[in-house]
This record gives sequence, C-alpha cells and structure tokens, in this order.
Amino acid sequence: MLSTQLIKQARAQKRLALDEKAGKAFLSEFHITVPSSTVVKDEKELEAQWSQFSPPVVLKVVSPDILHKSDVGGVKLSLQNLEAVKAAMALMKEQPGIKTAKVEGFLIEEMAPPGQEMVVGGYQDPQFGPMVMVGLGGIFVEILADVSFRICPIDEQDARQMLSELKAVAILKGARGHPPVSMEAIVEVLMNIGGEQGLLMRYQHDIEALDINPLLVSATQAVAVDARIILRAHHE
Amino acid sequence: MSESIVEQFKPLFEPKTVAVIGASAKGLALPNTFMRRIRAFGFTGPIYPIHPTASTIDGMPAYKTLADTPLPVDYAYIAVAGALIPDILKAGKGHVRFAQVVSSGFAEVDEGRDLQEALVAAARESGMRLIGPNCLGLFSPRGHITFAEVGPQPVGSVGIVSQSGGLGTDVIRRGLQRGIQFSGLLTVGNCADVLPTELVEFYFADPQTKVVGLYIESAKDGRRLFELLREAKAKKPVVILKGGRTKQGLAAAASHTGSLAGDDRVWVALSRQTGCVLVDTLDQFIDTLLIFQQLKPHTQHPTRRVCLFGNGGGTSVLATDFFARIGLDVTPFETPAIEALADLHLPPGTCITNPVDCPVGTLQQEDGAVAEKILDIIFSQGQPDALVMHLNMSAFLGRSKPEVLDNLMAAALRVLQRYPHKAHFLLVLRADGDPDMEARKRDFRIKALAHAIPVYDEMSNVGQALAALQWHESFCVSRQ
Repeated sequence: MLSTQLIKQARAQKRLALDEKAGKAFLSEFHITVPSSTVVKDEKELEAQWSQFSPPVVLKVVSPDILHKSDVGGVKLSLQNLEAVKAAMALMKEQPGIKTAKVEGFLIEEMAPPGQEMVVGGYQDPQFGPMVMVGLGGIFVEILADVSFRICPIDEQDARQMLSELKAVAILKGARGHPPVSMEAIVEVLMNIGGEQGLLMRYQHDIEALDINPLLVSATQAVAVDARIILRAHHE
Repeated sequence: MSESIVEQFKPLFEPKTVAVIGASAKGLALPNTFMRRIRAFGFTGPIYPIHPTASTIDGMPAYKTLADTPLPVDYAYIAVAGALIPDILKAGKGHVRFAQVVSSGFAEVDEGRDLQEALVAAARESGMRLIGPNCLGLFSPRGHITFAEVGPQPVGSVGIVSQSGGLGTDVIRRGLQRGIQFSGLLTVGNCADVLPTELVEFYFADPQTKVVGLYIESAKDGRRLFELLREAKAKKPVVILKGGRTKQGLAAAASHTGSLAGDDRVWVALSRQTGCVLVDTLDQFIDTLLIFQQLKPHTQHPTRRVCLFGNGGGTSVLATDFFARIGLDVTPFETPAIEALADLHLPPGTCITNPVDCPVGTLQQEDGAVAEKILDIIFSQGQPDALVMHLNMSAFLGRSKPEVLDNLMAAALRVLQRYPHKAHFLLVLRADGDPDMEARKRDFRIKALAHAIPVYDEMSNVGQALAALQWHESFCVSRQ
C-alpha cells in the first residue's frame, strides 16, 4: 500500500513527520480529497508542468527544516498565472528563513473552492489510544477551543454528534447569510480519519498525531488544504 | 480461561475462608480490627491469622504461613511491612485465590517501584490474584466482609470500584446513610494486578449488580474501559467520579490537536460514546448512584419534563432556574391541568402552574387528602416525566400534627399506584440541622426508601441526579 510506503520512506529519511506532499498523498489513500499538486525543483520544472494546472494556485516551500511555512514567507496564495508563480518563487528563495534552510523544492497546488475552514485532527492518548477531533478553523479553534473529541473508532452517529455539539454549529448550517456547508462531507472525512477502518485505527502504531488545518468545506465537498502527520517514535 | 468472570471473582466477594496477615498477638493492629469487623458483619467461616511466632491471635489458632492453613484461602487480607510480602505470598503458592495488600510503600512512591514488581511476580508465580497494594480492603455484604466499621447490611445492587481507599470508606458510610445498598465495593489502590476494568466486567455480569460506580484517578487500561463500556451499551448504568489529572504524552502536546485535548476531553468523549455518567463530586456520585438504585430508567422516553410540588415559593423558583440550566424542563402546565387544579379552590398563596407551591396550610388540609388530589391532577394531566415532591420540614414545626408527613407520603404512594410507570417520583426532605428534625427526617427517609422512592437533601441534588438519569436514558434511546 502506498500509505505504508510513505511511512517507510519518511522513517528511512529519519523524519519525525510526513512532509506536506506525502501527508496529502496519505490522506488521499484514505479517500480524503486533497488539492491536485506537484512538487517542482526549479523554474524549469515549473514551466514543464504548468499546463496541468488550472489557476489560481498556491506556492509553498518544501523543506524539512521549516515547520511553519507561512511564518518565514514560504506560502503565497492566489497566483493567477505562470509569471506570477515564477516571481513568487524567486522572492521566496530570498526570504531569510528560507535562504538558510535545506529547500527540497516548491509545491504548486490548485486552490480549493472557497468554503468554511474546519480543522480535523487526531492523536494518541496514552491510556485510551487514538482520538479524533473536529472544530471550526481560525478563532474558533485557536481562541475559543470550540472542538469536540471522540475515542476511535467512531461511527457515523458519533461523527454527527461531534458536529452538533460544537458551539459554532449554527455557522455550518448557514447562519448570518453564509451558505450551509456539507455536513455529510465532514462526516465522511471524520469516518475516514477516526472510523473502524480509518487512518488513526489502521496506523495507530505509526501515527502519533494528525492535523488537517484547514479542511475547506463547501456546500458539496471537503478538501484537506494542509495536513501534518507526525510519526510515533519507533516501537520495538 | 473457561471460568466465567462471575465464577472467577466469587471467592473474592463470597470467600469461604479468610486469612489475615499482620494481626498482632496483642490485638492492637489494623488486621485485628479487620477480624473483629468481619465477625461483627456476619462472617461465620474460618479466619486464619498468619503469624511467625504466635500460636493464637484474638483467641483463634494462628498459622506460620499461608501454606499451613487447614483449608485453602479464598481471601487473604495483608497489612504488614511491604518488603515482607513477596515471600509471604510465595509461601502460599497454590493455596490462595485472592490476596489484598493493604500496605503502602509500593509504586505510589518512586522507591517502591521495584518492590511492586517483586510483589506482582510473587503473586503470579504463586497462582493468586493480587488486589492493591496501597488500598483499604473489600466491602462485600454477600460475603460478610468489610474493612469499614458498619453494622450488618443487606446485599444491594450498587457495585463500586475505588482507586482510593479513604474515598471508598466515604462512599460506604455516606452511601449507607443515604440508603444505598451495595452489591460490593473494592478498593484497588495501585491496581498492580487486578484492574478496575476486571471488576467492571464482573459487575456487568453479576446478576446482583444493577448500577456500577467507579472512582478513578488514572485509567491504566483506559482503552479496555472504553471497549467494555461501548460493548455494554449502557445496559447497566455506569457512574464515574474522575479524580486527578494525568499528563498527556509530550509528543501529543507537540501537535495542535494534542494540545487542545487535556485530560477532560477524553472523559467527556467516553461519556458521550458509552452513555456513562461523569460526576465531579462525592455528593453527586452518591446522589447519582441512589437515583439509579431506586428508579428504573425510562429507556423509551428520556426524562425531560419535571413537575415540582411542595412548600416553599423561593425554593420552587430557584429550583426551576437550576433545573432549566441543566436541561430539565419545568414549564407551566397546559390549560386543562391548571383548570383542574383551580377547581380544587385551594387557599390563597397556593401557586398551581408548575411549580405547584403550597403553603404548609394547604398541605395539612384534610390530613393530606388535598395533596393527594393535587398529585393526582399532576400525574393525570400535567404530563410529568418526573415529579419531585419537596417538603421544607422547618415549616411544619410547631404547627402541624406529626403524622402529616406520613399522610403526605401515603397520599403520594396511592397516586403512584394509580399511575404505574407514568413518571419518576422523587422526594426532597429539606431540614436545617436541628437534631430533632434530622432524626425525624432520617426515619422518614427510611420509610420512603422502602417504597423505592429516592430521597434527597436539596433541590440541586435531586436536579443533578435527574440530569444524570436523563443522560443515561437519552443515550439508551439514541442507541436503540
């Protein structure tokens, strides 16, 4: 399986986490929609690959040394054409936090259609094993900690209850002029992460923690725009 | 292991023979007290004091080691210096079913970790199950074993596992005062061998047990607890009093999700996924166990609507606010019920809309017959899921015939009989600490409990217990 391969590779490279590209490929194996993307080494590769993208795209630096890409100027959104991507790449290379890091390439990714930012995560509780979490993104998760947790495996009823107990659930249902988002799409992601056959149960010996932040949810779909998968210290 | 869990733990909860290690020939040590307590509690089987030199202890023949007793030992109670215990266990190899080590100085302190390992190894190689160490003992009315000082007690339906010994004593003594009757209570301390989840499994399978209560400080086998409770689908209500906070793994805190988790989130999740009731205080623990002991949950229709009936206007108003805050519904009656109550032409000062608030004068009328009419109307037309009758006993002082309380309860019981299974019925007896009133309250409480009516001290206690019942019932309904 590709997912097992991805973990083996990361371990062989002594990484503590899957990089963004590998993380998304991993999610994709679990039927979670991720934006189509590719990693290019330089401008030349970018030009060769460009025709497969429909802009706007995002450009992100790929480096094992950089954990928070946006902090060092390693993320540029809404690039409308090849020239804009090239310019952004040139600028990025000159950022102080990037110049000194080991840069493996640049990720070019189609932008997900607009939607509500959600977070979906998971971690290993030392006593209870894998746990899955959901919440709304931005201030809801960061300031209000408006999230709900369940012990894995969850069933669909659990997943729906997780959403219904969020204080901000009204926003998902379409409050104050916002269009409602697809609850079904979120439930599906939660099941793919935390269900009986989900990622956290299947890889509980390999995955210490997982953050999908943001998961962009529109009226029809949920797209994992960024993902972090942290590996467990190798068990004997 | 082909033996059922009930069979496995039977020698613990109903031991035929008890050995006691640590009793002194002078009769002053804790184990001497234990021997006296279990005799007083009705244990008639052989008690074998184990002592290296004494030939008798408290008039009973003593034996040098656990291997020397005339019959094999079902339950050994051990309270001697920790370092001696591994060898004591080894000497009893193949001769002992359960050994409860009360002594401390094991893994609860850093320097005791090795000793605990030695203790567990000794128990395993000697073919016995180890309970504790660092606990207080067992309370098992069916087996006439008690570590707490209590009079004779009937076998009840509440099964408890407590990681704390002292709190176990509180649960027994306070619980008994409140009318809780136990199917068993085991203090498990460090849980070096027998784990709380094994006891939960036992109580689930034990026909005597209807409600399970857990005091947990750290869930060593949280995963197993989750699986057990999930599988059981809340068939028996489970009440968890969670104490202490464990530190999450450092790696978990390194992730965003992990840092949001904290310890409580896991327990809240457990409660939502399995229907177990989480409580925060000892009082809530006992209040909640009591409601499950006394009332049969409505697993088709969760309790929401509560009708209040009693004396005390302010008390009714405050209770209405509190109940509403915790998800109970105390909205006024529909017109037919109000009209029916109005037709009773109750004296001024009586409020008839739910809460029904009656001055003492009204409750006293016709020796409580008016109260019966009110209760009948509430039951037949007030659509209650639960009815709380609250009596402020101070208000009866000096102005009421002593039998008015009895009359009120008799009236309530007649109404309950007319509308069986219609609504939960609960009683709040509010007293002010006056010794005579407390004594009267205690007598009255016993009478009510005998009629399966749970009795509470205050409105907030009954409210929280009802909310716990609602939680359990809602889970059962949602998972059918």
